Amino acid sequence: MTETILPRVAVPSLTRRITSVWWRHVRVYSSSLVSNALPPFLEPLIFLAGIGLGLGRYIVSMDGLPYIQFLAVGLVLTSAMYTASFENTFGTFIRLEFDKVYDGMQAASLTARDLMWGELLFTATKGAFFAGAVLIILACFGLVTTPWMLMGVPLGFLTAGMFGTIAMLVTSFVTNINHFNFYFTLFISPLFFFSGVVFPLAQLPDSVRWVAGLMPLTHPVELMRAAAGGHTVFGVGWNLLYLVVFIPVVGTLAVNRMRRRLVS
Amino acid sequence: MAYTGAMPAIVVQNVTKTYSGGFEAVKGINFEVETGEFFGLLGPNGAGKSSLMRMLYNKSERSAGSIEVLGYDPAQNELEIKFLSGIVPQDDNLDVDLDVVTNLKVYARFYGLKAKAARARIDELLDFLELSEKKESKIRELSGGMRRRLIIARALLNDPKLLILDEPTTGLDPQVRHLIWDKLRLLKKQGLTLMLTTHYMEEAFQLCDRLAIIDHGVKVLEGKPIDLVKSHIEAYVLEIIQREASAALTYSGPVRRETIQDRVLFFSDSAAELETIASALHPGDFYLRQSNLEDVFLKTTGRSLHD
Repeated sequence: MTETILPRVAVPSLTRRITSVWWRHVRVYSSSLVSNALPPFLEPLIFLAGIGLGLGRYIVSMDGLPYIQFLAVGLVLTSAMYTASFENTFGTFIRLEFDKVYDGMQAASLTARDLMWGELLFTATKGAFFAGAVLIILACFGLVTTPWMLMGVPLGFLTAGMFGTIAMLVTSFVTNINHFNFYFTLFISPLFFFSGVVFPLAQLPDSVRWVAGLMPLTHPVELMRAAAGGHTVFGVGWNLLYLVVFIPVVGTLAVNRMRRRLVS
Repeated sequence: MAYTGAMPAIVVQNVTKTYSGGFEAVKGINFEVETGEFFGLLGPNGAGKSSLMRMLYNKSERSAGSIEVLGYDPAQNELEIKFLSGIVPQDDNLDVDLDVVTNLKVYARFYGLKAKAARARIDELLDFLELSEKKESKIRELSGGMRRRLIIARALLNDPKLLILDEPTTGLDPQVRHLIWDKLRLLKKQGLTLMLTTHYMEEAFQLCDRLAIIDHGVKVLEGKPIDLVKSHIEAYVLEIIQREASAALTYSGPVRRETIQDRVLFFSDSAAELETIASALHPGDFYLRQSNLEDVFLKTTGRSLHD
């Protein structure tokens, strides 16, 4: 009997596996560059034009800033929130149930968890890109008043990472794609209005301000305000702590729940 | 334990699978696949074939029993198994937004292949599966047969020791099916171990060294295709298409009669016996032939629908 022991199996490391999944998403995203890369620039453009020409004439200043300036700071991150929320609800669900993309990827040397963490990493990257796009448009309007506002790019990464984990957790429960409408109407849309983007949280009555403190979008927006030289309600330390704890905890929960849908 | 070429490539022992809803898809199955062997898993829809295949690479977790693939337990070493094996899943799940070569490049990264090595390997595989001309094509522009071949190419990227194919030719035209068969035979010649599930008896008969028939989650037969036909069914079949035509037939001797809806089948080891019966019939009302694997399959799994 001839026994030839095979060489040790050179399975790629966790980092390489996750970045290979990230790379798949980058390639698919950039394969339709025009339809994917233009909207993140157009959206803030239209928004600012609308506010500048319309609403801005009535609301002159907010929290000591011209209103358009106040709004601009928060807008850097809301686009990251929206893109992450779509990416990991509709996007993840379609890859899971309709395109069967994960089935194909699970046949390679990747685990279900690799797939999900790689996807979240991509979502975060996309958020950084979207925040960067908004900053470029803001700069064209002369609304980038300090280089510190470039912190919007890493904050966009964290915002999208955070909303990616929430969206993925929601997706892990959803069996009908239409149910995501509830998530957007009842959770994401209110966040836009009550997270310090359109008016300062300091104006909220004391009795409800703590609710805003629990909500995810509040914290990156506060950090962005701090970077732009504005006021925070909860303090930079607490806001950072929220992000640093929230993302891994909700992320782990979401990935583990999704694994149960990927491995029968 | 380190896997050696002298060991079986796959060992499945007393494996069961009960899904969370309580459905028992696999009820204690045993089989082994030798290194270098081409092994087939046959069974009606819902027999547990795909469940078994998925448990080999932990796409599905077994409920009980033990599995060893290339010396590894899928529950512990899923990554090693997938690194060393090529898997062709049942559904087409290519990235439709990417072209042919990018699909493969992206996939090569999942194995940690370096870009340069990947490029060479991709050219080689596209050539092998006769897809070189489609290199730049979008997936949407490919026919079903091309997509299947591309998925097989994808499974071969990391130069696997074992190829697992779940219904690789379902829905394909005969030309493509034969092309795929030829390629699979070539791979076997190169020393690969292959395992496939199929609904096509012809496919199993042509390709497999050995096969197992499973039904309702249990193994009902196992052996070499030719031996199964020899030992589990009479050598000849007389098929009578018009039931009325058989009404007045008289026969004696070792003949087994089976009635299926509007058809009557006579099975016998003696062709002469069946010819005698047929002599009373109009030509065109009957068909005398050798029995085949499909007859064995239908005899062991029954003729009722399994869906």
